[in-house]
Amino acid sequence: MPRPIRALLALAALLGSLVAGGALTAGPAAAADDRPVVTVGSEGTYPPFTFRDPDTDDLTGYDIDVIKAVAKKAGWRLTFVDAPFDSLFAALDSRRIDVIANQISINPERQAKYGLSDPYTYSRGVIVTPTDTDDITSLGDLKGRTSAQSTTSNWAEVAEKAGARIEAVDGFAQAAKLLEQGRVDAAVNDNIAVLDYLATSGSKKIKIAGEAGESTQQALTFRKADSERLAEANKALEELRDDGTLKRISEGYFKADVSIEDGGEAQASGRAGRNGLDVAKDQAGPMLKALVKATIPLAAISFVLGLVLALLVALARIARSRWLTVPAGVFISIIRGTPLLVQLFIVFFALPAIGLTLPPFVAAVIAFTLNVAGYAAEIIRSAILAVPRGQTEAARTIGLDYRQTLRRVVLPQALRTAVPPLSNTLLSLVKDTSLASTIFVTELFRVTKTAADESTEYLTLYVVAAFYFWVVCWLLSLAQKRLETRLDRYVR
Amino acid sequence: MTSLLTVRGLTKSFGDNHVLRGIDLDAEAGTSTVLLGPSGSGKTTLLRSLDTLEVPEAGTVRIGDVEVDFGALPAKGRAREQQLRALRAQSGIVFQQHHLFPHMTALENVVEGPVTAQGRPKDEALAEGRALLEQVGLSEKASQYPSELSGGQQQRVGIARALAIKPRVVLFDEPTSALDPELVGEVLAVIKDLAAQGWTTVIVTHEVRFAEQVADQVLFLDGGVVVEHGPPSQVIGDPQQERTQRFLRRVLHPGGA
Repeated sequence: MPRPIRALLALAALLGSLVAGGALTAGPAAAADDRPVVTVGSEGTYPPFTFRDPDTDDLTGYDIDVIKAVAKKAGWRLTFVDAPFDSLFAALDSRRIDVIANQISINPERQAKYGLSDPYTYSRGVIVTPTDTDDITSLGDLKGRTSAQSTTSNWAEVAEKAGARIEAVDGFAQAAKLLEQGRVDAAVNDNIAVLDYLATSGSKKIKIAGEAGESTQQALTFRKADSERLAEANKALEELRDDGTLKRISEGYFKADVSIEDGGEAQASGRAGRNGLDVAKDQAGPMLKALVKATIPLAAISFVLGLVLALLVALARIARSRWLTVPAGVFISIIRGTPLLVQLFIVFFALPAIGLTLPPFVAAVIAFTLNVAGYAAEIIRSAILAVPRGQTEAARTIGLDYRQTLRRVVLPQALRTAVPPLSNTLLSLVKDTSLASTIFVTELFRVTKTAADESTEYLTLYVVAAFYFWVVCWLLSLAQKRLETRLDRYVR
Repeated sequence: MTSLLTVRGLTKSFGDNHVLRGIDLDAEAGTSTVLLGPSGSGKTTLLRSLDTLEVPEAGTVRIGDVEVDFGALPAKGRAREQQLRALRAQSGIVFQQHHLFPHMTALENVVEGPVTAQGRPKDEALAEGRALLEQVGLSEKASQYPSELSGGQQQRVGIARALAIKPRVVLFDEPTSALDPELVGEVLAVIKDLAAQGWTTVIVTHEVRFAEQVADQVLFLDGGVVVEHGPPSQVIGDPQQERTQRFLRRVLHPGGA
């Protein structure tokens, strides 16, 4: 059956061009500016070091100001990518970012693997517990207790060495929430971040319960091979230290100089707390934008491409040649037998290892397309097989060839059977796009989560996000009903 | 006079079941051939073989100037498909279950072959399609879906659809077996009409009385071979073979001794 093969090749070419196009847009923008472009990775949810200004929504904070000052001295042009803490090192490894500016503490493992700059922060760790906990005052008390940590953070290592069980979280805001809700016993973090959280949230439910050992130093983190940028950064940091810029930036945030050892006790003033409704009002717009600009296009493109691929896979699956049925069966089995999240991570984080670095949106489209194809192929296959054999015989006897039979007789009837289960696939897909947040696609869930971590207004913001998802799914199910009625018009 | 349809030595088996064991058949243009026989005798398989819905292992089928030697047919590939398509285009088939396309109206069913398969101009095909529907007495039903038609009407649309591709031979596979008794007459009337207009037909049926009226020749099949053939007056009126006699007794006097 040569036709499906030809169609498959065409689809592969289409996907290929999509990938190539995406890769191009990911490259440095062509401009007259010949300064090197340096992409900075930062959480944007770790105030006062890196966070979004609630009024302007711009990325700001101590680390952001420092890297901007460094870039000015070193002659770099900066672009920013915000990502969960645990994704930062993977993003650096896979060359999606060039430097991490996110309070990365210096430790021997990191020194061995990465290019760490001279320190620009001196800080100390503290142990945070619920206010009514009185049996945790030192690292020794953490033995056997549960501590909420970002798993790739230095503080996680400190807590683990002290014998704590680690509950993995995305950042300190989440850790604080878990503590307030009594779901974990403790969290170890930087004292400034904790002070800032306490000042901003006004939370009386958690407290600083003790010191977490010696002071630590934080550095900008580059790839080991990127020694040129590292040298430029160190030179810039030295100049900034000498001309008082670092001190000025630090005092602006902490009323003390944390860029040197013993620069005074840092204070955090926090930011004006705002109530949930104000936050929701502010965020409803950006969230809607993310829904329209990322979530919906992602679902729509993946669904259409996925259906095309699914049709080809389904036809291959019912073909006579084993050269078609076996690969199609293997494909379906792999897609249905592995988690979607793993598929996303393979496309995004693992393919760079073989030289294929895709921009987040393209990577998400590919992963979701393959996923939809795997599930829809089985739906389409069974819908095709449900069309009575007499129909294809009748089509053949009036002279229709394979493709005409498929297009004119089999698929219109199979469609009717397939619409309800395919609609389920689409609804799942719309909701599953939230997983793309883990590979930096700025879709609805990611925007919501960033805003929630920043403002700690979890309830309001997640309810708004849920409402947005529900509206989309509700509209889709209305469309499904109309389509079914239309397809049913010839059935009495 | 040369025949329009010639079948020689056709054999076909499904596994160990030898359904056709060397069938010969000749039909002249404009004649009606009726295939009679008990179920399992191979008559439906023979009919389906003429339209290549079944592909025999050996033997030849010639319709007009298209001949396929099944024994010499390639096992697969383009050449095989081309030969089968050429032969298939020579005949149109009317099924026991009408197999109309449920998502198309009566008229759309009829013009599907001419327009999609044969690529003929749509308005021309539509005009012909309407004429065909009128011929089978359904000009009022052109825009109805099959589900909105009675069994007899469905079968008549099926006949119009088979005629629309302008076949040399029209094949009928038990066209009235699935119908309620009161609907049988209208379908048989249409078939009789076609025969009278000079269409060449091959009909598998259990309606012996109908066969007597419409057939120019009758073939009685049993166990995959032609047991007896000749004009209906002979095969039905005065059968020579014991198996033919027994079959006719059973279908004509189902309750009899």
